[in-house]
Amino acid sequence: MNNPIINTKNNFLIYSTIWVVISLVQIIILNQILQLPLDYSITDSIAYNVIFYSIGISLWYPTKFMNFERNKFSKIILNHSIVALLTSILWTYVGYYLLIYVIKISGNEIIFLEKSLLYRFIIGILFYLIIVLVYYSNIYYDNFKKNIIKEYELQNLIKESELKTLKYQINPHFIFNSLNSISSLTYSEPTKAREMIIKLSDYLRSTLSTNEKQKRDLQTELNNIKLYLEIEKIRFPDKLEIFENIDSKYLNIEIPSMILQPLIENAIKHGVYESDEKVVIKISTSAENEYLKIIIENNFDNNALPKKGKGIGLQNIKNRLSLMYKQDNLLKIAKTNSLYTAIIFIPLESN
Amino acid sequence: MNRRKFKCIIIDDEKLARDIVKNMLSNNSDIEIIAECENGFDGLKAIQELKPDIVFLDVQMPKITGFEMLELLDEIPEIIFTTAFDQYAIKAFEVNAIDYLLKPFSEERFKSALDKAIKKANSDSPHNLIKEKLSENVITSGEYLKRIVVKKIQKILVIPIEDIEYIEAQDDYVMFMTTQGKFMKKGTMNFYEKNLDPKVFSRIHRSYIIRIDLIKQIEPYGKDSYIIIVNKDLKLPLSKSKYQQLKNSIL
Repeated sequence: MNNPIINTKNNFLIYSTIWVVISLVQIIILNQILQLPLDYSITDSIAYNVIFYSIGISLWYPTKFMNFERNKFSKIILNHSIVALLTSILWTYVGYYLLIYVIKISGNEIIFLEKSLLYRFIIGILFYLIIVLVYYSNIYYDNFKKNIIKEYELQNLIKESELKTLKYQINPHFIFNSLNSISSLTYSEPTKAREMIIKLSDYLRSTLSTNEKQKRDLQTELNNIKLYLEIEKIRFPDKLEIFENIDSKYLNIEIPSMILQPLIENAIKHGVYESDEKVVIKISTSAENEYLKIIIENNFDNNALPKKGKGIGLQNIKNRLSLMYKQDNLLKIAKTNSLYTAIIFIPLESN
Repeated sequence: MNRRKFKCIIIDDEKLARDIVKNMLSNNSDIEIIAECENGFDGLKAIQELKPDIVFLDVQMPKITGFEMLELLDEIPEIIFTTAFDQYAIKAFEVNAIDYLLKPFSEERFKSALDKAIKKANSDSPHNLIKEKLSENVITSGEYLKRIVVKKIQKILVIPIEDIEYIEAQDDYVMFMTTQGKFMKKGTMNFYEKNLDPKVFSRIHRSYIIRIDLIKQIEPYGKDSYIIIVNKDLKLPLSKSKYQQLKNSIL
């Protein structure tokens, strides 16, 4: 950390201006109140203040050296007391000798100067204290600022890494099973195989191009889900039924990318994969108190035991939503005997 | 010489997946497809009734997995697994499966698996005897059991591990005492000792594994011997060597 006075032009100007003011005040006091001659008042004021002006700049170094983080409070007070004493004595006498032997003042002025030495010493101590305090507040302000920036950067880093781990990952089994279905269709229905390849490609392109930080409009997200569901529908034509009830006025609303996908995958995994009967997946939207509600429902076979891994995906959605909107409880899950409902709440003000 | 036809069953929950197996089998005149099943229950029934030579078996299916289905069979035909999951390959090897086809598979790969199965089925080797101890060999690669599948009078039941209170050895069988009642299954204590979470279950004796949190009290019983009290009607023996082990795991 550099000397804040000579660090920036602005600070240097302020510091210099303050000393000019102090010098002027001193001239006025000496000349007007104490009735000393103007030329003496000016010389005295300039001599003494120029000296402290330079001392003041150099006081930065002992102050910086004696910071509160590395030293005991009592040690700092003791050190500063000694330095203040020495500085003030030095200042008083350097000024005194300068005026008497260099500038060669005479008569009443010498008597005045000698009488005023004690006051000058006390003023020196005061100057010292003020300057040191200014330096300390500068140090603390600086540290404070740095900490805030650091904190902010850390928060960002955490958020980023969290989002990275929360990133949606394409389920490899879905891909391999789909490819197997395509392989099978090439024997029986080549046209359908081609259709499925295109759907799978579109789905992969859309999913791979998402950035975990990104938001996309509801339309894009729904299209992606539709591709996924259509592929599953080709695989399980009799076991999957899809219903959509989307209000078109919400289609432009931005939602976190791939936030619906895990819910749909859960519906497929715990519904279609675990059931012998037809599973109906219903996707709908509605608005409620400044929130857009996206509702995903599916029936499931109550006899099938819940499979492992449940919960992590949901927790991820929750975390992502709370990181993005800084609100909790944006995901609600309800489970009855045979109906599973997941609701995502998107704050409308964020759009 | 009149060549024998091999009876074959395809078990997969997805029709297209069964179709491709059917298609790849279609130009092989040695094979006769006698059944197609879309879940483990139907598959189990078909295998027991139709006694196939070769079974193409998917792993992940509704209700019970392919592996769980095999556990319920007394006699196991030649198994070729067909699955998109590569993590079961070791397990498949341990249940003496003929081959493990990763979806999607090529015709060449399929043919080589089929050839192996035909050769094995032809050789009349007593492999089915080896497989009697099937369930002992199954290790669930680092994961503990989450459920067990049992048969009770032709009915198949899936019991969550949480419902098991204790397990008792009975010759070649183990008896599960659960909240839903008693169930018997072929298997060994060693298998369940290895595949149940040791934080939840403890092998307290050569013939007993118990859910640890059911243990109310441990009392000395004769010289150098202890007894575990679950409730006033149920007391189980605790062997000397397990006493220290159990004490450490509880305290």
